[in-house]
Amino acid sequence: MSTGLNRTKWEPYLWLLPSTLLVTVFVIFPILIVFKLSFSEISQAGVVGGFIGFNNYKEALNLPSFKTVMLNTLWWVLSVVIISTILGFIIALVLNQKFHGRKIARSILVFPWATSLVIQASVWNYIIKYEYGSLNNVLLNLGIIKQAINWRSSYQVEFIWECWVGIFVTVPFVTFCVLSGLQSIDVSLYEAATMDGAGFWSKLRHITLPLVKPSLTVSTVLNIIYVFNSFPIVYTMTKGAPAHKTDTMITYLYMLSFYERKKGPATALSVIGFLILCICAGIYMMSVMRKEEQL
Amino acid sequence: MRYPEVARRNRRMMLLLILGLILSLILMSLPLYTFDADVYTKKSANTFVGDEKYVAARAEAEQAAEDYRAQGFDVEVHENVLERVNSKGKTTSLVTFTVSQRYSKNFFSFIGKGLPSSTVLLCLLGLMCLSVLFAIFGLLGTEDVLHCYLSQKSRVLRNLAIAALILAIILVPVFILMNNVTFSRQLSLYNAGLITEGKEAFFARMDRFLFDGQMGESIGDVLSGLTINHSGLVWLLIPTLFISLIGAISIRKGEIESSLLRGALYLFVIIVCVVTLYPYYVMLITAFRSNAESLDMYFLHMFPTKWIWSNLTDIVNRGVPRFLLNSLFVAGGATALAMLCGIPAAYALARMTFKGKKIFLGYVIMSQMFSPVVLLIGISQLMTTFHLNNTLWGLMLINAAFNQAFAIWLLRGTFVSISSEMEQAAMIDGCGTVGALTKVLIPMAAPGIVTALIFVFINAWNEYTIATILISTAQNRPITVGITQFSSFNMIEWQYMFAASLLATIPVVILFMTIERHLTAGLTSGGVKG
Amino acid sequence: MKKLFSLFLVLVLALCAVTSAFADDITLDVIICQYGPNTNNWFERGGTGMDGSNFVEKFEAANPGIKLNLEVVSWNDVHQVVDTRIANGNAPDILNLDTFSEFLPDNLLMPVKDYTTEELFADFFPAFMQDFLVDGEYWAVPDLASARALYYNVDILEEAGVEVPTTWAELEDASQAIIDFYNGEVYPWGIDMTTDEGQAAFAYYTWGNGGGFTDENGEWALNSDANVEAIEYAIGLVNAGYTNPNPATQTRYDLQDMFATGKLAMMIGPNQIPTYVKDKGGDINMATASLPANEGKTSASVGVKDVMMAFRDDSVEDQAARNEAISAFMTFFYDPENYVGWVSMEDFLPAVNSAVEALVEANPSFEAWLNVLATCKFYPTSKAEWAQVRQGVTTVEQNALTGADVRAELDALQAEITGN
Repeated sequence: MSTGLNRTKWEPYLWLLPSTLLVTVFVIFPILIVFKLSFSEISQAGVVGGFIGFNNYKEALNLPSFKTVMLNTLWWVLSVVIISTILGFIIALVLNQKFHGRKIARSILVFPWATSLVIQASVWNYIIKYEYGSLNNVLLNLGIIKQAINWRSSYQVEFIWECWVGIFVTVPFVTFCVLSGLQSIDVSLYEAATMDGAGFWSKLRHITLPLVKPSLTVSTVLNIIYVFNSFPIVYTMTKGAPAHKTDTMITYLYMLSFYERKKGPATALSVIGFLILCICAGIYMMSVMRKEEQL
Repeated sequence: MRYPEVARRNRRMMLLLILGLILSLILMSLPLYTFDADVYTKKSANTFVGDEKYVAARAEAEQAAEDYRAQGFDVEVHENVLERVNSKGKTTSLVTFTVSQRYSKNFFSFIGKGLPSSTVLLCLLGLMCLSVLFAIFGLLGTEDVLHCYLSQKSRVLRNLAIAALILAIILVPVFILMNNVTFSRQLSLYNAGLITEGKEAFFARMDRFLFDGQMGESIGDVLSGLTINHSGLVWLLIPTLFISLIGAISIRKGEIESSLLRGALYLFVIIVCVVTLYPYYVMLITAFRSNAESLDMYFLHMFPTKWIWSNLTDIVNRGVPRFLLNSLFVAGGATALAMLCGIPAAYALARMTFKGKKIFLGYVIMSQMFSPVVLLIGISQLMTTFHLNNTLWGLMLINAAFNQAFAIWLLRGTFVSISSEMEQAAMIDGCGTVGALTKVLIPMAAPGIVTALIFVFINAWNEYTIATILISTAQNRPITVGITQFSSFNMIEWQYMFAASLLATIPVVILFMTIERHLTAGLTSGGVKG
Repeated sequence: MKKLFSLFLVLVLALCAVTSAFADDITLDVIICQYGPNTNNWFERGGTGMDGSNFVEKFEAANPGIKLNLEVVSWNDVHQVVDTRIANGNAPDILNLDTFSEFLPDNLLMPVKDYTTEELFADFFPAFMQDFLVDGEYWAVPDLASARALYYNVDILEEAGVEVPTTWAELEDASQAIIDFYNGEVYPWGIDMTTDEGQAAFAYYTWGNGGGFTDENGEWALNSDANVEAIEYAIGLVNAGYTNPNPATQTRYDLQDMFATGKLAMMIGPNQIPTYVKDKGGDINMATASLPANEGKTSASVGVKDVMMAFRDDSVEDQAARNEAISAFMTFFYDPENYVGWVSMEDFLPAVNSAVEALVEANPSFEAWLNVLATCKFYPTSKAEWAQVRQGVTTVEQNALTGADVRAELDALQAEITGN
């Protein structure tokens, strides 16, 4: 979409320069160090030794909890990203309507996002306590339940709670991404569609969705990455207990590195995670961008 | 619609309204609450059937039962023996005698007994009557007139009828809550020693309701063995009142569909807000509790029995304002820097054609794919090289860099969705590329920019992992790291932690509210159109 | 835009120049772990916890020419902070932690004799120092200690008609009696097998059954019959419903809260429990007893001691002056005038003789605890594999909680640790 006005060849690159510099120095450089570390021997105290080839990777793939953790990670990412995208989209559609108190409702929705994840996870930890949690108390007071419920009766349930907190903090992000997309839709499009007798669903399908799609793509890609890399929720609520059965990849490699002191495999695992993310996000982005070009 | 039809419809809806209310009244006179009261309990450990202790305990229980029967109560004596062989082969047992009574009450028996819920019940009944009155008076003389021809007075009266019904619907859960709190939870509060004042009056009221005041002194013991059961029928009140509400709305509006949709919208928004605010409610009540108010750990009170404002001053004394300022500086600086670098890049990506566009996008997004936890060693090395360890500047740069991907992707999306015609016009008018960007595109892309701005700010504000490594002195700590000083080896000071995090949430919300205007401004989409 | 950026670069460079400009005095990097709510205020510059001042300022006033760069780090983050520093080759000079052995294989630590005066060295409890002896050298000094004991709610036990259990069988009986009496509303026994404290649970039960982490030769013996029996017993308690329902995620804090409110009848905890209960406003009638052991086995007291250590730094030219400075830090820290305040503030037990007198004088109940401390068994922290073992036994316990076979799990762990 070039404007074609007196541009020299190198001008675009000049515009990209500051950003490239910032990212390269402060992010890519540390990433390269991680790559280097994953091929080095690392002692349990963290002293970096010489090159040992793929030994760290071999060790990482042979870890007993590797499979459980990978499955957990898959569930964690899929459930949190999909559910919060759907929920966030619905909430954005509603908040885009005109009604009394819209501004207040939007401000309230910022809350979960503006609170640090450690605190958010601690509060939920507090809420779902069996012995004196607030949730049991509220439900008891309302007479909805007769006896306190053990909300953390098994690790599967605890994992579901972790996913819930993940969704709770991710929804605002999706909502505001979609909202900003909705804001730029021309109202006249809807008016025209209404004149043509289009119903709610057909307007949603033919006007809203296509126009919100770029925002939704961005939020989904970033969510996949952030949710995959999310650390404080699982760490605060269960620390992966019992025995890594609620760990996701990122908490697992933290435990591996600082609790079990297997720093080599932990670093290798982080590179494996990176590659998985690259492939997933890459495939998703390519398919979406191809469609975008076709438009 | 012809007038006779309107009249018929109005009459039908009036009937629906009254039917709903009558159903509610019938429901309320059914015995909805049952009380199982253990009026007397005697437990005896290490007792065997037939031995001295057993006989003595049994006699005691029988005597107590007789006393109650003499007062006209219908009671039963239950005996429960638990026998076990312990590890040494010795049999131990626990004998429990209970003298119990069961009875049920309907809603109307609450009235006039001075319980908190009876006031609610009176309000509820009053509102129901009012709504019928309003509806009838609002209908008078206008029975056959379309809604749009209604007199002002009738319209107001009909609105009032609807409002009264909505209030009545809300009061039902309040009533249930009050009862549960009064009977089971208030009592545990009393047992925990938290209700000290007005104990006599409180007990007298309970006694009057449960036993018509016959229990006297021993009411306290009875209440500790009281279990309250309400049948699910109680919740049926809401649907029956809802039927009335539908009747009232259609009398007022004529068409019911859009009103219901509107109601559903508000309901949805309210539910979302309540769920969102729930953890903050928990934070708030914890933040203002004293550490010693340990029994409130049970959340028996919906709010702290005593608001401890000194928690706030305590955290102020422990450096929280300083931490907040540091965070503000880091997050603000990081946002500004991220925008300064991100906007030009996004602009180039959206408006110019050049080789390597996709590679750049991929490069930037790749920078997000490692969790900071993993990158710590590299970052720390880098900061040592630049002598930026333990400085807020270092933290700022890192945060700006980590949010580049975010900013660029969001901004590019926004820029692409805006047509480039206006900029081209501006450039033809003699503005340079920079002028076109700052004067035309940025104002038009305000919602997207604001979104990106908020995103970056919040991310930087909440960054924790890198800050723990980078910052080593107290005066440079951002709030996320500062909060950890309230959880230590010996104990976690929840009240300080939550008070501090509430304080930390406020600046972000204020920031959001001040720039939210731009988000909702609906963009200068008119400009694009024109 | 570009101008702004270059301006920024200039600014950053200028800043670098400024920060690297002054370096004359000896500066010691010190990392202290956060023990309680007062730690920050007592140690850090600007704090008022140490008689209106703080450790850093007092130390610098007393030792001109030495600057302290002291940082209080929470227990949650300390490993991350220290390991990152080590990986970058800028380890702290002085570190306070709960273990030291993981730093030995890389030869990172300085021998104690390099930085303690003879007088100070003789002041440490000799029994404590024994554990820091590896290959003929002492590598760390004890910082403080705490002892664990059985705390029980006197009223609950009395009402349920049971005595304080001394054997495992009695513990089961007492638990059943409490369950019966309170219809399950009071948990008889608290178990904490969370990721941070699983090794403590392992110690409580295996030591009470004649087992333990190591055999009599000091070699790892994690899968001994006594250990298997002990862990199976502990898991049995959970499965029988005698304990708090979620031992894998209910931390000691949760147990303390429950204990303070009378929801839990017995728990094993450190000597700070009474302070904690009081802070939480708990009004319970409690007492201590020794941990129950299996029939015919002796009850072992469990102690925990934390350490101070000094790291090598070969880049410093004047090693002697650096050792001198570290020595000055240690002498100042263990000076009874300073040390007593520190230990008593967070209710810990001391690690030096010179502090005992003042502490007992201030609080007579300390004497009993010091006696307990004298008989305590400690974790085998001097063994290089301790960090893995500690995590390994926790994993075994947590796996067992979800139904895994204890013996198979311990066999696997033993094989992994000893490498065969």
